[in-house]
Amino acid sequence: MRKQIFLLLSALALLVAATLPAAAQSNPSKTKSDKSWAAPKTPWGDPDLQGTWTGDDTWGVPFERPKNFGTRKTLTEDELKDRQKRVEQSEEFVETGGTNHSPAVAQIEAKEKGEAVPQAQGRYGRGVDAAPVPGHWGEFARRPSHATSQVVDPPDGRIPPITPEAQKLLDEKMATRRRDPQSWEDWSYYDRCITRGVAGSIIPVIYGNGLEIVQAPGYVAIRYEMVHDVRVIPLGTQEHAGPGYRSWMGDPIGHWEGNTLVVDTTNFIGKTSIGVNGDAGPPSSDETHLVERFTRTADNRIDYQMRVDDPKTYTGPWTVEFPITQEPGYKLFEYACHEGNMAMRNMLSAARAEAAKKAAAGAAKP
Amino acid sequence: MRNSFHTMILSATCAAVLAGALPTPAQNAASRIPRTPDGKPNLTGLWQSIGTADWDIEDHGAQAGPFYQLGAAGAVPPGQSIVEGGEIPYLPAALEQKKKNYENRWKMDPVVKCYMPGVPRANYMPFPLQIIQSQRDILIAYEFATTNRVINMGKKEDAAVDTWMGTSNGHWEGDTLVVDVTGFNGNAWFDRAGDYASDSLHVVERYSLRDANTLNYEATIEDSTVFSRPWKISLPLYRHREKNARMLEFKCVEFTEELLYGDLRKKPAEGK
Amino acid sequence: MRTRILLATAVIGLVLSAVPVWAHHAFAAEFDVNKPLVLKGTVTKMEWINPHAWIHLAVKNADGSTTEWLIEAGAPNGLLRRGFTKASLPPGTEIVVEGWQAKDESNRANGSNITYPDGRKLFIGSQGTGAPTDKEDKQGK
Repeated sequence: MRKQIFLLLSALALLVAATLPAAAQSNPSKTKSDKSWAAPKTPWGDPDLQGTWTGDDTWGVPFERPKNFGTRKTLTEDELKDRQKRVEQSEEFVETGGTNHSPAVAQIEAKEKGEAVPQAQGRYGRGVDAAPVPGHWGEFARRPSHATSQVVDPPDGRIPPITPEAQKLLDEKMATRRRDPQSWEDWSYYDRCITRGVAGSIIPVIYGNGLEIVQAPGYVAIRYEMVHDVRVIPLGTQEHAGPGYRSWMGDPIGHWEGNTLVVDTTNFIGKTSIGVNGDAGPPSSDETHLVERFTRTADNRIDYQMRVDDPKTYTGPWTVEFPITQEPGYKLFEYACHEGNMAMRNMLSAARAEAAKKAAAGAAKP
Repeated sequence: MRNSFHTMILSATCAAVLAGALPTPAQNAASRIPRTPDGKPNLTGLWQSIGTADWDIEDHGAQAGPFYQLGAAGAVPPGQSIVEGGEIPYLPAALEQKKKNYENRWKMDPVVKCYMPGVPRANYMPFPLQIIQSQRDILIAYEFATTNRVINMGKKEDAAVDTWMGTSNGHWEGDTLVVDVTGFNGNAWFDRAGDYASDSLHVVERYSLRDANTLNYEATIEDSTVFSRPWKISLPLYRHREKNARMLEFKCVEFTEELLYGDLRKKPAEGK
Repeated sequence: MRTRILLATAVIGLVLSAVPVWAHHAFAAEFDVNKPLVLKGTVTKMEWINPHAWIHLAVKNADGSTTEWLIEAGAPNGLLRRGFTKASLPPGTEIVVEGWQAKDESNRANGSNITYPDGRKLFIGSQGTGAPTDKEDKQGK
């Protein structure tokens, strides 16, 4: 399943790479080389990373680098032009909502006319390409990212091979996802509104990519909109909690290296995946060690980097990199997931109804 | 001669104290509170209330819990009211609802389901809370269910939607942080005893450092559809001072799934 | 066989059509793609909650009776960021919902396309500057 997703992501990247006008100048934020910009400091002298930040601009950038890019980290001008087009199309769709033609209506009309129901184009299900909600409920990039992928190390932008134990766990996970649902455990920790994990809370998706940083002397705190997660990062010489304490978001300790906040996190339960929504890829292990770096490179930009070390799961370390930006008017809203998770009951109810139908059909057979 | 000199010093000292030139013991305590570079009291720290307000914010004696199998471990501990005046001034119909809540509290208490506790309850749960006070806004992170809220200290913002933790706007009045909370969805309770309010709830909190390690917390509760008048709770929060004190994680959704979805587990009759 | 959808499959829409398509983890697990429907009714309540907003819809049946339907919509936070608020879909509003019925055959459907009777889509564009509206009546929903 993961391979197919990444193949599709690769196909997207190729399409995106096809045509792009020179939009490199469209990024309004200053670069690191702009000597006139000075990193702001808090009144107590720490680099100031505060504000609400979003990874929206990296939505659509392939997680792993398509093989044809090799070790190239940035798009060419032509490739960027094409991505710019996609960004503009997405923004237009949010504003106008696209056409009113609904696949559900097309289905009904086809049935009424006695015509063949249009073939499925997507992975949503049998029959017509069924979109669960109109796309304008989503959020999109404001400017095209220059990156060929989010993974930047190893140099080919591809995650190192996973270990045999991790492959086994991944196979088991995919098997539970393919079979008829037996309980809530057959869904991701995100679907269950438990957590997306540290990586899954920042890797951009189709909406809800916001996080907020608040600092105090001796602390940096990060709150993530989905699933109302928060990490309180003490700064200084504190040691990690003992190995008997485990948590979903781990135990973080921070320190400054120049203007960069370095966050070292251990004590993970594991189980969530280090990927989209904490579910793409194999489950991580309790030996996961994450080192993140947050460097403010402009008033409205932080360069984010996460190095993953999980020897039980991956045969080598790997690193993800992308910027998060501040956007005018962008703020976080409460995302009380579990409190409103009617979908979980509904999905389970659907599974029981389907199973009952199957059982009745089976019993009816002569 | 010496006596009158001493008397003179004593009189001068008294006069100085009376004139406010010398710090009194009370002022000494106040001036010893930690302050931020811009002179505001610094509330940053890991805090927690002591007591049993989360069980019941009014006076309550010890009681059996819902499961006899837990014996003393599952019983309700006693506590004295944190409500000024002792009792919550419910309107008559609302009091009937509170009684219904109480009778069904183990099923109905949203916190049992790992739903967010709302304000003010989050501040007196038996779990720590971390205050992060920046030069601008203030974040409160609660260990229970990773609940968190940001107190906007800038220009007041209205609530766009109703939420569990409300929308918080704060400002300083001298050394007291005053937080105005609106936009509640009416789903949270005040405790495990069924005390509740509606989505008209309006809470005004006051945080002030009594000393470096004690935070006085007060909240005025207003909801004219439930209560006959505004009422107030107050209790101290205490700073965690153990070595390596830190906020840990209590993500409780997993512990509630059997409770919430167990009836929809795959049935044996469904076979493979 | 249940089809699991990972969010990354939104990309498929970008590849196959110029229009970005919402990909969702729960669609095929909850709704029956063989039960398309069109519902016309009056909003009785809209819950601006996550992970899905829910629209309560009173639908008049042919025999004059009314059925209350629950329509699963998207996550509202993106809309809130564009300036929409709980006042943006008040009770009493007439809407038309196109979508698919829940697999357990209850009166639930997803809102694949939600419009006003004149065809205008709900929640298009931006309501305002992104700031919440002023002076909500706290007694009202």
